[in-house]
Amino acid sequence: MSTLSKRILSSWKTQAVCVNTLSNDLQKNLSAVKKLLPSEDILSYQFQTADNVACAIVYADGIVNKQLIGDLVARPISRLALLENLPKNRENDGGMVELKLKLIKETVLFPEMKTMSSLEDIGKEVLDGNPLLLIDGVTKGLIVGAKFLPIRTIMEPPTDIAVKGPREGFIEDIKTNMALIRKRLKTPDLRFETIRLGKRSETMVSVCWLEGTSNPQVKNALAKKLQEIQIDCIPDSSYIAAFLAPRKHSIFHSLGKTEKPDIFAAKLCEGRVGILVDGSPIALTAPFLLTEDLQSSEDYFISPFMATIFRFLRFFALFVAVLLPAFYVSAQLFKIQLLPLGLTLTIASSVRELPLSPSLEMFVVLFLLEVLKEASIRMPKYVGMSLSVVGALVLGETAVSAGFLSTPAIIIVAFSGICLYTVPNFVETGSILRWLFLIIAGSIGPFGIVLLFTFVLYYLLSADSFGAPLLAPFSPLIPHDLRDTVVKYDLFSLKTRPKTLDSKNKTRLSLAKHQPKGEDEP
Amino acid sequence: MTKPLLSAKNDIVLGRQIALAAAFLLPASKLLETPSILARYAGGDIILPALLHFLLQAGVLAIILFASSRSKKSLFERLERVLGKGVAILYILYAVYFVYAAILPLLDLEKFVYAAFFDTSPTTFTFVFFFPLCAFICVKGLKSLGRAADISLFLFLLPFLALIAMSFSETDFSHLLPLFGSKFGGTMSAFIKTTPHFSDAILLLPLIGNYRYEKRDGMKIMAGYGVGALLSLFFFAVFFGVYSSIAPREHYAFAKIAQYFPALSIIGRADLLFVYLLTVVLLIFTCMPLQYTTDLFCRACHIQKKVLPSAVLNLALFVFVFYCNKYYNSFYAVISGKLGFVFWIFADILPLFLLLLPKYSEDENETQRIPAPHKKEKRRA
Repeated sequence: MSTLSKRILSSWKTQAVCVNTLSNDLQKNLSAVKKLLPSEDILSYQFQTADNVACAIVYADGIVNKQLIGDLVARPISRLALLENLPKNRENDGGMVELKLKLIKETVLFPEMKTMSSLEDIGKEVLDGNPLLLIDGVTKGLIVGAKFLPIRTIMEPPTDIAVKGPREGFIEDIKTNMALIRKRLKTPDLRFETIRLGKRSETMVSVCWLEGTSNPQVKNALAKKLQEIQIDCIPDSSYIAAFLAPRKHSIFHSLGKTEKPDIFAAKLCEGRVGILVDGSPIALTAPFLLTEDLQSSEDYFISPFMATIFRFLRFFALFVAVLLPAFYVSAQLFKIQLLPLGLTLTIASSVRELPLSPSLEMFVVLFLLEVLKEASIRMPKYVGMSLSVVGALVLGETAVSAGFLSTPAIIIVAFSGICLYTVPNFVETGSILRWLFLIIAGSIGPFGIVLLFTFVLYYLLSADSFGAPLLAPFSPLIPHDLRDTVVKYDLFSLKTRPKTLDSKNKTRLSLAKHQPKGEDEP
Repeated sequence: MTKPLLSAKNDIVLGRQIALAAAFLLPASKLLETPSILARYAGGDIILPALLHFLLQAGVLAIILFASSRSKKSLFERLERVLGKGVAILYILYAVYFVYAAILPLLDLEKFVYAAFFDTSPTTFTFVFFFPLCAFICVKGLKSLGRAADISLFLFLLPFLALIAMSFSETDFSHLLPLFGSKFGGTMSAFIKTTPHFSDAILLLPLIGNYRYEKRDGMKIMAGYGVGALLSLFFFAVFFGVYSSIAPREHYAFAKIAQYFPALSIIGRADLLFVYLLTVVLLIFTCMPLQYTTDLFCRACHIQKKVLPSAVLNLALFVFVFYCNKYYNSFYAVISGKLGFVFWIFADILPLFLLLLPKYSEDENETQRIPAPHKKEKRRA
């Protein structure tokens, strides 16, 4: 038995100290269930069989397919003469319950059904959306898998848009997400191991991996850490990520995040282990390397040369986003030589009558950018439009003409803001780093920037994500893995899986040995 | 025998990382004040004393590597077996030596920072921010230093080559001719005066001492040191080719060697960005001996957490730099003159005694404190 299953069992066992079981009286059972689940959204529907045996269906309103229950459960049972079909002389026999259940099951013909007698377990199933069928005189309940959760349709995730390549995205339903992965990896090696976390939310969290490909140590480490989670509610996978992070207060994330099943499947194929969380469209992957943030799914669907150019672009954009405002301020305050003479004169003329110092000016503009960004995300679409006008024209244009801010500062912050969005997964971290660099640049100039850069670098050098160094394959240097980092080699050069991930199965691409070069197959 | 203190996990260093440290971390310090001092004494023969130093240091490194290659146990493990508790004294001595060896690079770095990062002289407090960084680095294990050596390949090579390429248009190598044009005495003075700058093979000892030698690592590390030496010599040649007779007055030249590149008049001093990138390597290099000091002190005193020793060391150095930076020239004169023998003893003579260490081949099946890195660990070191 796996560790996760043991964990589930042990957690349920501890909870089952005060387990009550069903009796053979329907009304008593109904009141027991009602007592266990007193909320008003837990409804019951009572009906009778053709020979007047009382039955009831208990369900959570809104998450059950009522039509399915009516058509496939209530209607067939109401036409069934339950007692007439039983042997007359065995009415008080202990095996009668089983016979009744067998008869009901044969009548209902529902694909997902299970019998339960523990009220605790029944309560969990009902809350999970699976209706309970109770029959008078039967000491067990039938759980019918007629869950119908309100889910949104599969669509392209807004944070991970690709011009070329698959556009499907994960949704909030874990079963759908598992199906999306299974659709891409039709192999018995794809394994899911599900655990329920959150004392109150009972959120399904699924660890998935490719048996024989992913590193079992990583899977075990993840499972162990998941077991240790003690929290009331898990509304999103970011909660899980926070618990799994080796450095709790780090601004750098130590788990990969994706909303796309194609990326998720590709990462599993590389040897990573994934985590799906019910209620979250964001899946997690481990181990995580910092270079993953520079990669886009599109890189694998376009020419490797273009992919390399795009990656270099993102790499430099990242540095520009984080460092440009800091360098601008430090150049003005401490090292004017960093700017060409012509630009220095332009800047000098635009900042001549400014009431703010360069660092304070940059601070204000950056603050405005952050506020506008935050507001535009939260605002309704229609207000957002006018907000853009207010932000761009009123604040920007007017502040410059009124002499509060200079044009170069606005241009630099705007450019920095745009650059940061070339690496969407790095936006939060990049934004914090930009502030830190700006503060230190305003204090001690370019030397401060170099000091902070070295500090961040050394911090990252010593960081690991589930056994994989965060800066790999640059440090430690793994030349083989450099083929899919900033530089993207063609598909045929990526025959083996990344060494950093320490996969048991090294080969991911086999080429025919005697395949003639440059000849098309007939 | 002293208690094993450092966990092997935090101190796994690979031969490749030591080689890269020799190639790209060690040359960083030689780009600051060394070229102008060499030019002051040796003139056009700037390369000759440097070459002599490199040959001497290569010899020391070869001895350390040979001593390391003689057993499957690490050098430090063998030292601890031979000296028993007395090894603590040796560790403390070397901890002090590394602080001593760090003083000149530290003062050099401070002066370089004021020259390259500011248009006008900043307050002395500006350099204070270096010490928290250094304290942070000192707390980290040698594994992090190994990884820093890995990344220095990119951080050193890219800006170094860019700066050299940008300064090449102004370089006239004929200034180096005729070979052996300077007086022998001048060359020897340059050799002696630059001893503190070149006594760097010993800086690899704590790394080599902590790892278990593997086949062909000696070749790798020697090759790495050779690459570092060649890069340094090439820089000296370019430096003298650019500045020629005014070279002795050109302090911290690598910050300005590329400023005559024609395109810079249009795009501004973009070369400074490369200089700043190289400064990252320089900062790591400057912290390196202090990291060793913390490490060796903690080993000798059986201290598990390095935070306090690191903080105290850096606070002391801050006070020292704050009060003594104006006496840089006096310090330099004393350290490279009267106290120059300290470098000879600790960096060149004492390592020879490593050859006397026994092999301990009879009980190599014992549990190793520093195990040979598994293939998997090699990828994660």
